[in-house]
Amino acid sequence: MPINILVRFTPAKPKAGEEVRVQIVAQHPMEPGTRRDASGKVIPADHITELNVLMDNQLIAQVKPGPGTSANPLFAFKMKASKAGQIKVTCKDLTGQTGEKTADLTLA
Amino acid sequence: MDRRKFLKASAGAVAGAMLASQLTSALAQSALEGEDIANLEKGLQQVLGKGFKDLTVSQQVKLVAPTIAESGANVPVEIEASLPADQVKAIHCFSDKNANPLLFTVVLNGVLPYYATRVRVAETAPVRAIVETKDGKFLMASQSVRVTVGGCG
Repeated sequence: MPINILVRFTPAKPKAGEEVRVQIVAQHPMEPGTRRDASGKVIPADHITELNVLMDNQLIAQVKPGPGTSANPLFAFKMKASKAGQIKVTCKDLTGQTGEKTADLTLA
Repeated sequence: MDRRKFLKASAGAVAGAMLASQLTSALAQSALEGEDIANLEKGLQQVLGKGFKDLTVSQQVKLVAPTIAESGANVPVEIEASLPADQVKAIHCFSDKNANPLLFTVVLNGVLPYYATRVRVAETAPVRAIVETKDGKFLMASQSVRVTVGGCG
């Protein structure tokens, strides 16, 4: 099952030149590999290792979370809304699953 | 020199040395709760190839984290650098007592020097935000987070 990603802009429609906060949430358990289940077996590590944020196909930020990132992690950035464009978020985890989401940034 | 004098003198010297080392470490870092430089050093060397001594404590880095976190599994962290956006290369975040001290690395390229996320903290320890600048400097801000329930167990 691909990783589900949510993207939100605050404010939703920024004015040109305004600061916009980009919030990305990936729905993922982010197992650190140190936790044990009820029978005492170690739950194998399974966390997102790479998350790329692209604006009009140009990489603007890359996150490399370690096992020390919470479940259903939030990734928030701030950027200057200079022009409208398409934000694309891609990610992959340790088991090789990938996720992708595009969102359009429109100016007011 | 007889034995008694020697003992007195050496005891004084040892006490002095201990005091001095305590003073310098206190100056370098106003004691944070639960810090574990040895474990942190391991992570720093692995990720940055730098030691704790190479980091500069800076007011330009702002780290927002709770002083007391109920659950270590979900600690909100916000890092902001008051530097021009084109000078910041990456933001790293470490926690002293985690088995793997590196929490995350973010490489920024065209966004403002700001990042917010939620992290796991294993036990009461300082969280350290390290901003890597384009000219190779590492600026740090630390804050101790007290954890009631660990986030990695």
